[in-house]
Amino acid sequence: MSLLKMTDMSLSFGGVLAVQQVSFDVVEGEVFSIIGPNGAGKTTLFNLISRLYDADIGKLCFDDENITRTPAHHIAELGIARTFQNTELFEHETVLHNLLIGKHVYRKTNLLSEFCFTPRVRRQELQFRREAEDVIDLLNLQRYRDQIIGNLPYGVRKMVEVARALCIKPKLLLLDEPSSGLNPEETEDLSFWLEDINEELGVTIIMVEHDMNLVSRSSNRVMALADGKCLAIGSPQEIQSNAEVLRAYLGD
Amino acid sequence: MRFIRKTSYGQDIQLFKHRGQVFWYGLLLATVFGLPFFIDSFYVGELSMVFIYAIAGTGLMLLVGYTGLVSLGHAAFLAIGAYTHAYLMTHGWPLLPSIISATLFTSLIGGLVGIPALRMTGIYLAVATLAFAIIIEQVLTHWVSVTGGFRGMPVPLPQLFGVDIHDALSFYFFCLAILIICLLLALNLLRSPTGRAMRAIRDSEISAQSMGIHLAYTKTLAFAISAGFTGLAGCLLAHKIGYLAPDGFTLLISIQLLILVVVGGLGSLHGVIYGAFFIGFLPQAIALMRDYLPTKISQIPGLEPGIFGLILVLFLIYEPLGIYGRWLKIRHYFEEFPLYRKATHQRQKSYLRTERLR
Repeated sequence: MSLLKMTDMSLSFGGVLAVQQVSFDVVEGEVFSIIGPNGAGKTTLFNLISRLYDADIGKLCFDDENITRTPAHHIAELGIARTFQNTELFEHETVLHNLLIGKHVYRKTNLLSEFCFTPRVRRQELQFRREAEDVIDLLNLQRYRDQIIGNLPYGVRKMVEVARALCIKPKLLLLDEPSSGLNPEETEDLSFWLEDINEELGVTIIMVEHDMNLVSRSSNRVMALADGKCLAIGSPQEIQSNAEVLRAYLGD
Repeated sequence: MRFIRKTSYGQDIQLFKHRGQVFWYGLLLATVFGLPFFIDSFYVGELSMVFIYAIAGTGLMLLVGYTGLVSLGHAAFLAIGAYTHAYLMTHGWPLLPSIISATLFTSLIGGLVGIPALRMTGIYLAVATLAFAIIIEQVLTHWVSVTGGFRGMPVPLPQLFGVDIHDALSFYFFCLAILIICLLLALNLLRSPTGRAMRAIRDSEISAQSMGIHLAYTKTLAFAISAGFTGLAGCLLAHKIGYLAPDGFTLLISIQLLILVVVGGLGSLHGVIYGAFFIGFLPQAIALMRDYLPTKISQIPGLEPGIFGLILVLFLIYEPLGIYGRWLKIRHYFEEFPLYRKATHQRQKSYLRTERLR
């Protein structure tokens, strides 16, 4: 069953055709990678899915619901979480508080009860805290729990961002270059965690990635993009031997 | 160095993190309640002014320090609170209902101002709020039937449940009680989802949005809450000065409030208190200093705003985290004592967001 279905989507910035008539669908439970040279439109595609950009034409469906015009802040509630290429964490907050933001979509209290910090708000906070702690355990972030993001090394920040996205308990996780800036060991760890997240938590993953090793190890299917156009969709092996993909990367 | 042994998640959301804090805040509370019986009534009056500044500062801190939206128009909210309260009281409303209504009305106006402000950030927002403040100033001068225009309007004496509270001592306790309530409300807000959402917007709007935070709603809310606190301070200010006139709510007041939050320390409620003392007592200190300066210098017109400005610039250059940031460093020095490393608080070169590779 397809979880996310994009049909003929196009987006242009002035004269630049960033995404042209891209169609693909992602099946529930799979790891779907998007590869392509710089400027191919991979991140733009992500921004379309998380509704930060409005598509010019085309249709986007998630879980049988048309989300082509859904406001961006509503996307998380539907179960789509994402990370960013250069990390967009809340710099002045601790790791824990960053994760708790991920719980924002589950809040059931109103402003008045929060002003008075009623027992209900307290219970909710404790519940959020317990759930965030599960994610901390999963990704081994215990020792960074109370540290300010600004003081953390880049590799850890990347993982905190994944953790924050997991706090939403998403059905679909969008990872924008999860391995960029990570050293080989960290990338290794990442691939195990991706497996855990995918298999144990049952989260469908779409990732933009340059590291072909990681892509072929963890993904079920790969889509190659170039100049905003979809070149091919297939298994990692098929894509790596596809003539058009090779041309896009290496030239004629 | 204190290590807190955590045994439950509840400890993190407690207002007091450990016994030491309970002791020190208790001591502080005892001091502020006992102090007015030992000092001159002039200083009691000055302290209640500091409390009023602190209430307004709490409002502005929530907006500037926690949501990252700059406002140069908070004098307007102060004025709206003060005038509404005075108007209601002259029409026979009792003190508390009038204060509550004025506060709610100010936060409503704040929310309305917040709506056009949604599309703007940084300097543009500052200019927009500045324009709003100037409009309100004009309204105060020209809407004579309500505000009394240039002549201004007297504020009825405050009475709480039939007891006069306009003498320095009881007004001091009234302001103190309201300040404590305000600080508790702000603390509660900041440890709840809404407060976290505000801080998320301050740090990264784009990811706040992707985490399911409704930007427009949260920003409007921040404006409304901030205006509410400031309006409440306005009500108290009305009683403090006793007679309202448009020239009491000029741009200079807005700037003073902004200095309060910056010098106190952006992003901390402690900073509000430090900043309020700074704003409240610096004019006295300058007045005292004048006696010891050569006449040539002490007679310069505009000495006071000049010194205010100079201190603000010095803080921005040398201690952007304000008095509270400085205090944290001093505390850290003693906690680590023989092992303190100077480099711990060395400032790194940081880049503006626009300079960052995106």
